[in-house]
Amino acid sequence: MKCLRVLFVFAVCSVFLIPLGPFASEAYEDTQCFICHTSAKQLIDITREIAKTRPAVTSTETEGEG
Amino acid sequence: MEPLAPHEKILVDSAIVDDENHGLIACHECHGGNPDDPNWKTAHKGVVKDPTYPDATAACGDCHDEINEHYTKSLHVSLSPYKLMIGKRANPNGKIPHEVVEGMDNHCAQCHSSCGQCHISRPTSVEGGFLEGHLFQKKPPMQEVCTACHGSRVQKEYFGEHEGTKPSVHRQKYMKCEKCHTGEEMHGDGKEYANRYEVENGPKCLDCHEEIYDKDADTVVTHRIHKDKASCHVCHSQPYNNCSACHVGKDKQGLAYYKTKESWFDFKIGLNPLRSDKRPEQFVTLRHNPVDRGTFDFYMKDALNNFDALPTWKLATPHNIQRKTQQNESCNACHGNASIFLQEKDVEEAERDANKGVIVPDNLIPRKQKWQPK
Repeated sequence: MKCLRVLFVFAVCSVFLIPLGPFASEAYEDTQCFICHTSAKQLIDITREIAKTRPAVTSTETEGEG
Repeated sequence: MEPLAPHEKILVDSAIVDDENHGLIACHECHGGNPDDPNWKTAHKGVVKDPTYPDATAACGDCHDEINEHYTKSLHVSLSPYKLMIGKRANPNGKIPHEVVEGMDNHCAQCHSSCGQCHISRPTSVEGGFLEGHLFQKKPPMQEVCTACHGSRVQKEYFGEHEGTKPSVHRQKYMKCEKCHTGEEMHGDGKEYANRYEVENGPKCLDCHEEIYDKDADTVVTHRIHKDKASCHVCHSQPYNNCSACHVGKDKQGLAYYKTKESWFDFKIGLNPLRSDKRPEQFVTLRHNPVDRGTFDFYMKDALNNFDALPTWKLATPHNIQRKTQQNESCNACHGNASIFLQEKDVEEAERDANKGVIVPDNLIPRKQKWQPK
Protein backbone atom coordinates (compact mmCIF):
# COMPACT_ATOMS: atom_id res chain seq x y z
CA MET A 1 0.00 0.00 0.00
CA LYS A 2 2.80 2.35 0.96
CA CYS A 3 4.54 1.51 -2.28
CA LEU A 4 1.44 2.37 -4.26
CA ARG A 5 1.12 5.70 -2.45
CA VAL A 6 4.73 6.61 -3.35
CA LEU A 7 4.12 5.70 -6.96
CA PHE A 8 0.97 7.81 -7.01
CA VAL A 9 2.80 10.87 -5.60
CA PHE A 10 5.61 10.41 -8.11
CA ALA A 11 3.15 10.17 -10.99
CA VAL A 12 1.32 13.33 -9.93
CA CYS A 13 4.61 15.28 -9.54
CA SER A 14 5.80 14.15 -12.95
CA VAL A 15 2.79 15.68 -14.62
CA PHE A 16 3.76 19.11 -13.28
CA LEU A 17 7.55 18.99 -13.22
CA ILE A 18 8.76 17.15 -16.32
CA PRO A 19 7.38 19.63 -18.91
CA LEU A 20 9.40 22.48 -17.38
CA GLY A 21 12.63 20.89 -18.59
CA PRO A 22 12.90 19.76 -22.17
CA PHE A 23 9.66 21.23 -23.49
CA ALA A 24 10.69 24.83 -22.78
CA SER A 25 13.70 24.77 -25.08
CA GLU A 26 11.94 22.64 -27.65
CA ALA A 27 9.58 25.56 -28.03
CA TYR A 28 12.16 27.37 -30.10
CA GLU A 29 14.13 24.46 -31.47
CA ASP A 30 11.37 24.22 -34.07
CA THR A 31 11.53 27.86 -35.09
CA GLN A 32 12.97 28.88 -38.42
CA CYS A 33 15.59 31.01 -36.61
CA PHE A 34 17.00 28.02 -34.78
CA ILE A 35 16.76 25.59 -37.71
CA CYS A 36 18.60 27.92 -40.07
CA HIS A 37 21.16 29.40 -37.66
CA THR A 38 22.31 25.96 -36.54
CA SER A 39 22.81 24.75 -40.10
CA ALA A 40 26.22 25.66 -41.50
CA LYS A 41 25.13 24.62 -44.98
CA GLN A 42 22.12 26.90 -45.05
CA LEU A 43 24.13 29.79 -43.68
CA ILE A 44 26.89 29.31 -46.24
CA ASP A 45 24.33 29.49 -49.06
CA ILE A 46 22.66 32.55 -47.59
CA THR A 47 25.85 34.46 -46.79
CA ARG A 48 27.10 33.80 -50.34
CA GLU A 49 23.84 35.17 -51.67
CA ILE A 50 24.16 38.23 -49.44
CA ALA A 51 27.79 38.81 -50.45
CA LYS A 52 26.75 39.07 -54.11
CA THR A 53 24.34 41.89 -53.51
CA ARG A 54 25.48 43.73 -50.41
CA PRO A 55 28.02 46.52 -50.94
CA ALA A 56 31.17 46.77 -48.82
CA VAL A 57 30.62 48.11 -45.33
CA THR A 58 34.17 49.19 -44.56
CA SER A 59 36.13 51.77 -46.47
CA THR A 60 39.32 50.75 -48.21
CA GLU A 61 40.70 54.21 -47.55
CA THR A 62 41.35 53.51 -43.87
CA GLU A 63 45.07 53.75 -43.19
CA GLY A 64 47.24 53.39 -40.13
CA GLU A 65 46.56 52.21 -36.62
CA GLY A 66 43.36 53.03 -34.82
CA MET B 1 42.83 37.23 -34.19
CA GLU B 2 41.59 34.55 -36.57
CA PRO B 3 38.94 36.02 -38.90
CA LEU B 4 35.59 34.26 -39.06
CA ALA B 5 33.96 33.17 -42.31
CA PRO B 6 30.69 35.04 -42.94
CA HIS B 7 28.57 32.00 -42.03
CA GLU B 8 30.61 31.31 -38.89
CA LYS B 9 29.74 34.74 -37.58
CA ILE B 10 26.07 33.81 -37.33
CA LEU B 11 26.24 30.05 -36.76
CA VAL B 12 24.53 29.14 -33.49
CA ASP B 13 25.73 26.17 -31.47
CA SER B 14 22.68 24.01 -30.83
CA ALA B 15 24.07 23.37 -27.33
CA ILE B 16 22.56 26.72 -26.40
CA VAL B 17 19.36 24.85 -25.53
CA ASP B 18 21.29 23.27 -22.66
CA ASP B 19 21.97 26.67 -21.10
CA GLU B 20 19.62 26.50 -18.15
CA ASN B 21 19.11 30.26 -18.19
CA HIS B 22 19.61 31.78 -21.60
CA GLY B 23 18.60 28.55 -23.30
CA LEU B 24 15.04 29.16 -22.20
CA ILE B 25 14.76 32.38 -24.16
CA ALA B 26 13.70 32.08 -27.78
CA CYS B 27 15.70 33.94 -30.43
CA HIS B 28 12.89 36.30 -31.39
CA GLU B 29 12.27 37.32 -27.79
CA CYS B 30 15.49 39.35 -27.88
CA HIS B 31 16.11 39.86 -31.59
CA GLY B 32 12.60 40.24 -33.00
CA GLY B 33 11.81 39.02 -36.50
CA ASN B 34 9.34 36.32 -37.48
CA PRO B 35 10.32 32.88 -36.14
CA ASP B 36 7.71 31.08 -38.25
CA ASP B 37 8.68 32.53 -41.61
CA PRO B 38 10.82 30.10 -43.68
CA ASN B 39 11.95 32.90 -46.02
CA TRP B 40 15.06 34.40 -44.44
CA LYS B 41 14.61 37.74 -46.17
CA THR B 42 11.15 38.42 -44.78
CA ALA B 43 11.82 36.59 -41.52
CA HIS B 44 14.51 39.13 -40.66
CA LYS B 45 12.24 42.13 -41.03
CA GLY B 46 12.61 44.14 -37.83
CA VAL B 47 15.47 42.00 -36.50
CA VAL B 48 17.74 43.79 -34.04
CA LYS B 49 21.30 42.59 -34.40
CA ASP B 50 22.43 43.68 -30.94
CA PRO B 51 19.42 44.00 -28.64
CA THR B 52 21.71 45.12 -25.81
CA TYR B 53 22.79 48.41 -27.38
CA PRO B 54 22.17 51.20 -26.63
CA ASP B 55 19.67 49.99 -24.02
CA ALA B 56 20.05 46.52 -22.54
CA THR B 57 16.98 46.70 -20.32
CA ALA B 58 14.65 44.61 -22.44
CA ALA B 59 17.18 41.90 -23.23
CA CYS B 60 19.16 41.64 -20.00
CA GLY B 61 17.46 43.83 -17.41
CA ASP B 62 14.97 41.34 -16.04
CA CYS B 63 17.65 39.03 -14.66
CA HIS B 64 20.76 41.24 -14.53
CA ASP B 65 19.03 44.27 -13.09
CA GLU B 66 21.95 45.40 -10.91
CA ILE B 67 24.36 45.46 -13.84
CA ASN B 68 21.81 46.95 -16.16
CA GLU B 69 21.11 49.79 -13.75
CA HIS B 70 24.54 51.35 -14.38
CA TYR B 71 25.10 50.00 -17.86
CA THR B 72 24.67 53.20 -19.85
CA LYS B 73 27.30 54.94 -17.72
CA SER B 74 29.94 52.30 -18.29
CA LEU B 75 32.73 53.98 -20.26
CA HIS B 76 32.59 51.13 -22.76
CA VAL B 77 29.05 52.14 -23.59
CA SER B 78 28.92 55.87 -22.96
CA LEU B 79 32.34 56.83 -24.40
CA SER B 80 31.86 59.99 -22.35
CA PRO B 81 35.58 60.88 -22.13
CA TYR B 82 35.69 61.25 -25.93
CA LYS B 83 32.89 63.77 -25.82
CA LEU B 84 34.45 65.69 -22.97
CA MET B 85 37.91 65.81 -24.54
CA ILE B 86 36.71 66.78 -28.01
CA GLY B 87 34.38 69.32 -26.41
CA LYS B 88 37.27 70.96 -24.58
CA ARG B 89 39.38 71.04 -27.72
CA ALA B 90 36.51 72.44 -29.77
CA ASN B 91 35.31 75.19 -27.52
CA PRO B 92 36.22 76.81 -24.19
CA ASN B 93 32.68 76.10 -22.99
CA GLY B 94 32.87 72.47 -24.12
CA LYS B 95 30.12 72.77 -26.72
CA ILE B 96 30.74 70.54 -29.71
CA PRO B 97 29.64 71.92 -33.12
CA HIS B 98 27.00 69.74 -34.76
CA GLU B 99 29.32 69.02 -37.71
CA VAL B 100 31.81 67.50 -35.28
CA VAL B 101 29.06 65.59 -33.51
CA GLU B 102 28.24 64.05 -36.89
CA GLY B 103 31.89 63.16 -37.38
CA MET B 104 32.12 61.65 -33.92
CA ASP B 105 28.95 59.62 -34.51
CA ASN B 106 30.33 58.29 -37.78
CA HIS B 107 33.75 57.42 -36.43
CA CYS B 108 34.56 57.63 -32.72
CA ALA B 109 31.16 56.35 -31.58
CA GLN B 110 31.54 53.17 -33.61
CA CYS B 111 34.07 51.85 -31.10
CA HIS B 112 31.73 51.16 -28.22
CA SER B 113 30.80 47.92 -26.58
CA SER B 114 27.65 46.42 -25.09
CA CYS B 115 26.60 43.36 -23.10
CA GLY B 116 26.27 41.41 -26.31
CA GLN B 117 29.52 42.64 -27.81
CA CYS B 118 31.51 41.29 -24.88
CA HIS B 119 29.59 38.21 -23.78
CA ILE B 120 28.04 36.90 -27.00
CA SER B 121 29.88 38.20 -30.04
CA ARG B 122 33.05 39.93 -31.04
CA PRO B 123 32.55 43.71 -31.05
CA THR B 124 30.88 45.18 -34.14
CA SER B 125 33.83 47.53 -34.64
CA VAL B 126 35.92 44.46 -35.52
CA GLU B 127 33.15 43.05 -37.74
CA GLY B 128 31.43 41.01 -35.08
CA GLY B 129 30.83 37.26 -35.18
CA PHE B 130 29.54 34.97 -32.44
CA LEU B 131 31.84 33.79 -29.68
CA GLU B 132 31.42 30.03 -29.38
CA GLY B 133 28.28 29.93 -31.48
CA HIS B 134 26.27 32.40 -29.38
CA LEU B 135 26.89 30.44 -26.17
CA PHE B 136 26.96 33.11 -23.48
CA GLN B 137 30.48 33.75 -22.17
CA LYS B 138 30.65 34.83 -18.55
CA LYS B 139 34.21 36.06 -19.04
CA PRO B 140 34.85 37.69 -22.42
CA PRO B 141 37.76 35.99 -24.18
CA MET B 142 40.78 38.28 -24.17
CA GLN B 143 41.86 38.11 -27.78
CA GLU B 144 38.46 37.95 -29.43
CA VAL B 145 36.97 40.74 -27.38
CA CYS B 146 39.36 42.88 -25.33
CA THR B 147 42.38 43.15 -27.58
CA ALA B 148 40.23 42.91 -30.68
CA CYS B 149 39.45 46.58 -29.97
CA HIS B 150 42.42 47.51 -27.81
CA GLY B 151 44.83 46.25 -30.43
CA SER B 152 47.35 48.84 -31.47
CA ARG B 153 48.32 49.76 -27.94
CA VAL B 154 47.28 47.19 -25.31
CA GLN B 155 47.66 44.12 -27.50
CA LYS B 156 51.04 45.04 -28.95
CA GLU B 157 52.31 45.98 -25.54
CA TYR B 158 50.81 43.17 -23.47
CA PHE B 159 51.89 40.46 -25.90
CA GLY B 160 55.29 42.06 -26.57
CA GLU B 161 54.61 42.18 -30.29
CA HIS B 162 56.93 45.08 -30.99
CA GLU B 163 60.51 44.16 -31.82
CA GLY B 164 62.77 44.61 -28.85
CA THR B 165 60.02 44.49 -26.25
CA LYS B 166 58.93 41.61 -24.05
CA PRO B 167 55.40 40.61 -23.15
CA SER B 168 54.14 42.06 -19.90
CA VAL B 169 55.23 40.07 -16.88
CA HIS B 170 51.54 39.61 -16.19
CA ARG B 171 51.09 38.01 -19.59
CA GLN B 172 54.06 35.77 -18.88
CA LYS B 173 52.16 34.65 -15.81
CA TYR B 174 49.15 33.86 -18.01
CA MET B 175 46.97 36.61 -16.60
CA LYS B 176 43.93 37.61 -18.62
CA CYS B 177 42.52 41.13 -18.75
CA GLU B 178 39.79 40.38 -16.23
CA LYS B 179 42.37 39.61 -13.56
CA CYS B 180 42.88 43.36 -13.17
CA HIS B 181 39.86 44.78 -15.01
CA THR B 182 36.98 43.24 -13.13
CA GLY B 183 33.40 42.89 -14.25
CA GLU B 184 32.44 45.56 -11.72
CA GLU B 185 34.79 48.02 -13.39
CA MET B 186 33.63 47.11 -16.88
CA HIS B 187 29.95 47.33 -16.04
CA GLY B 188 30.20 50.81 -14.50
CA ASP B 189 29.15 51.97 -11.07
CA GLY B 190 26.63 54.58 -12.10
CA LYS B 191 29.02 57.52 -11.91
CA GLU B 192 29.95 59.71 -14.85
CA TYR B 193 33.73 59.77 -15.14
CA ALA B 194 35.78 62.24 -17.14
CA ASN B 195 38.38 59.62 -17.94
CA ARG B 196 39.20 56.02 -17.15
CA TYR B 197 41.78 56.96 -14.56
CA GLU B 198 39.07 58.35 -12.31
CA VAL B 199 37.07 55.13 -12.20
CA GLU B 200 36.92 54.23 -8.53
CA ASN B 201 36.96 50.48 -8.92
CA GLY B 202 39.61 50.53 -11.64
CA PRO B 203 42.77 48.48 -11.13
CA LYS B 204 45.58 49.69 -8.91
CA CYS B 205 49.02 48.07 -8.85
CA LEU B 206 48.93 48.15 -5.05
CA ASP B 207 45.85 45.92 -5.03
CA CYS B 208 48.28 43.04 -5.57
CA HIS B 209 51.66 44.58 -4.76
CA GLU B 210 51.03 46.23 -1.42
CA GLU B 211 54.11 44.55 0.06
CA ILE B 212 56.53 46.81 -1.84
CA TYR B 213 56.58 49.32 1.00
CA ASP B 214 57.06 46.70 3.75
CA LYS B 215 60.23 47.23 5.72
CA ASP B 216 61.35 43.69 4.92
CA ALA B 217 60.75 43.92 1.18
CA ASP B 218 63.81 43.55 -1.09
CA THR B 219 63.11 46.79 -2.87
CA VAL B 220 61.66 48.82 -0.04
CA VAL B 221 64.26 51.58 -0.31
CA THR B 222 63.68 52.40 -3.97
CA HIS B 223 59.92 52.10 -3.61
CA ARG B 224 59.73 54.35 -0.59
CA ILE B 225 62.06 56.95 -2.16
CA HIS B 226 59.90 57.19 -5.27
CA LYS B 227 56.50 56.89 -3.58
CA ASP B 228 54.15 59.63 -4.83
CA LYS B 229 56.95 61.03 -6.99
CA ALA B 230 56.89 58.65 -9.94
CA SER B 231 54.11 56.33 -11.10
CA CYS B 232 54.76 52.59 -11.18
CA HIS B 233 54.93 52.74 -14.99
CA VAL B 234 57.80 55.24 -14.94
CA CYS B 235 60.09 52.51 -13.61
CA HIS B 236 58.36 49.37 -14.85
CA SER B 237 57.04 49.89 -18.35
CA GLN B 238 58.88 49.23 -21.57
CA PRO B 239 58.63 51.43 -24.69
CA TYR B 240 55.01 51.66 -25.87
CA ASN B 241 53.03 52.66 -28.90
CA ASN B 242 52.28 56.27 -29.82
CA CYS B 243 50.03 57.48 -32.64
CA SER B 244 49.60 60.74 -34.49
CA ALA B 245 47.43 62.77 -36.81
CA CYS B 246 44.16 60.91 -37.05
CA HIS B 247 41.93 62.33 -39.78
CA VAL B 248 38.42 61.06 -40.35
CA GLY B 249 36.21 61.31 -43.40
CA LYS B 250 33.96 59.47 -45.82
CA ASP B 251 35.00 57.94 -49.12
CA LYS B 252 33.18 58.23 -52.47
CA GLN B 253 30.80 55.47 -51.45
CA GLY B 254 29.95 57.31 -48.26
CA LEU B 255 31.83 54.84 -46.06
CA ALA B 256 33.57 56.17 -42.98
CA TYR B 257 37.34 55.92 -42.88
CA TYR B 258 40.19 57.13 -40.71
CA LYS B 259 43.80 57.79 -41.55
CA THR B 260 46.52 58.03 -38.98
CA LYS B 261 50.04 59.08 -39.85
CA GLU B 262 52.92 57.36 -38.18
CA SER B 263 52.89 55.33 -35.01
CA TRP B 264 56.04 54.61 -33.10
CA PHE B 265 57.28 52.86 -29.97
CA ASP B 266 58.88 55.18 -27.49
CA PHE B 267 59.17 55.82 -23.78
CA LYS B 268 58.70 59.29 -22.36
CA ILE B 269 58.36 60.45 -18.81
CA GLY B 270 56.51 63.72 -18.36
CA LEU B 271 54.71 65.81 -15.78
CA ASN B 272 51.45 64.31 -14.59
CA PRO B 273 48.55 66.11 -16.31
CA LEU B 274 46.00 64.47 -14.00
CA ARG B 275 47.67 65.03 -10.66
CA SER B 276 45.24 64.38 -7.84
CA ASP B 277 44.98 62.73 -4.42
CA LYS B 278 44.47 59.47 -6.23
CA ARG B 279 47.40 60.04 -8.59
CA PRO B 280 49.77 62.31 -6.68
CA GLU B 281 52.91 61.45 -8.65
CA GLN B 282 54.77 64.27 -10.33
CA PHE B 283 56.19 62.02 -13.04
CA VAL B 284 54.19 59.65 -15.22
CA THR B 285 54.58 57.95 -18.57
CA LEU B 286 53.11 59.95 -21.44
CA ARG B 287 51.79 58.71 -24.76
CA HIS B 288 51.19 60.79 -27.87
CA ASN B 289 47.58 60.29 -28.83
CA PRO B 290 46.24 60.51 -32.36
CA VAL B 291 44.18 63.68 -32.09
CA ASP B 292 45.15 66.49 -34.47
CA ARG B 293 44.00 70.03 -35.10
CA GLY B 294 42.58 68.83 -38.41
CA THR B 295 41.02 65.56 -37.23
CA PHE B 296 37.52 66.71 -38.24
CA ASP B 297 38.47 68.87 -41.26
CA PHE B 298 36.30 66.69 -43.50
CA TYR B 299 33.26 67.76 -41.48
CA MET B 300 34.30 71.26 -40.42
CA LYS B 301 37.48 73.21 -41.04
CA ASP B 302 39.35 74.22 -37.88
CA ALA B 303 36.66 72.69 -35.69
CA LEU B 304 39.06 72.13 -32.80
CA ASN B 305 39.88 75.80 -32.34
CA ASN B 306 40.55 75.37 -28.63
CA PHE B 307 43.03 72.60 -29.38
CA ASP B 308 45.72 73.76 -26.96
CA ALA B 309 43.41 73.34 -23.96
CA LEU B 310 44.62 69.76 -23.53
CA PRO B 311 47.98 68.08 -24.12
CA THR B 312 48.52 65.70 -27.01
CA TRP B 313 50.94 63.77 -24.81
CA LYS B 314 48.59 62.13 -22.35
CA LEU B 315 48.89 60.12 -19.18
CA ALA B 316 49.50 56.51 -20.16
CA THR B 317 49.53 53.22 -18.31
CA PRO B 318 51.29 50.96 -20.80
CA HIS B 319 50.43 47.29 -20.49
CA ASN B 320 53.97 45.98 -20.85
CA ILE B 321 55.19 45.87 -17.28
CA GLN B 322 58.51 44.26 -16.44
CA ARG B 323 60.28 44.09 -13.11
CA LYS B 324 63.58 45.07 -14.71
CA THR B 325 63.56 47.71 -17.41
CA GLN B 326 66.13 49.88 -19.17
CA GLN B 327 65.30 52.86 -17.01
CA ASN B 328 65.45 51.05 -13.65
CA GLU B 329 68.68 49.10 -14.30
CA SER B 330 70.42 51.60 -12.06
CA CYS B 331 69.64 55.00 -10.54
CA ASN B 332 71.47 56.78 -13.33
CA ALA B 333 69.69 54.88 -16.06
CA CYS B 334 66.97 57.40 -15.27
CA HIS B 335 68.49 60.15 -13.14
CA GLY B 336 70.33 62.52 -15.45
CA ASN B 337 69.13 60.63 -18.53
CA ALA B 338 67.30 63.48 -20.25
CA SER B 339 66.50 61.37 -23.33
CA ILE B 340 63.73 59.49 -21.54
CA PHE B 341 62.00 62.67 -20.36
CA LEU B 342 59.63 64.59 -22.61
CA GLN B 343 61.49 67.74 -23.48
CA GLU B 344 60.53 70.68 -25.65
CA LYS B 345 62.59 69.33 -28.54
CA ASP B 346 60.52 66.11 -28.52
CA VAL B 347 57.30 67.99 -29.16
CA GLU B 348 56.27 69.37 -32.55
CA GLU B 349 56.34 73.14 -32.56
CA ALA B 350 52.63 73.33 -33.38
CA GLU B 351 51.85 71.30 -30.26
CA ARG B 352 54.15 72.95 -27.76
CA ASP B 353 51.51 75.23 -26.26
CA ALA B 354 49.18 72.29 -25.79
CA ASN B 355 51.89 70.33 -23.99
CA LYS B 356 53.55 73.02 -21.91
CA GLY B 357 52.06 71.52 -18.76
CA VAL B 358 53.56 68.08 -19.33
CA ILE B 359 56.97 68.90 -20.84
CA VAL B 360 59.72 68.40 -18.26
CA PRO B 361 61.90 71.50 -17.93
CA ASP B 362 65.64 70.92 -17.55
CA ASN B 363 65.61 71.87 -13.87
CA LEU B 364 63.10 69.13 -13.06
CA ILE B 365 64.99 66.27 -14.68
CA PRO B 366 66.37 64.34 -11.69
CA ARG B 367 70.09 64.81 -11.29
CA LYS B 368 72.63 62.00 -11.49
CA GLN B 369 73.05 60.10 -8.24
CA LYS B 370 76.32 59.16 -6.63
CA TRP B 371 74.61 56.95 -4.08
CA GLN B 372 73.25 53.62 -5.28
CA PRO B 373 70.97 51.40 -3.21
CA LYS B 374 72.19 47.86 -2.62
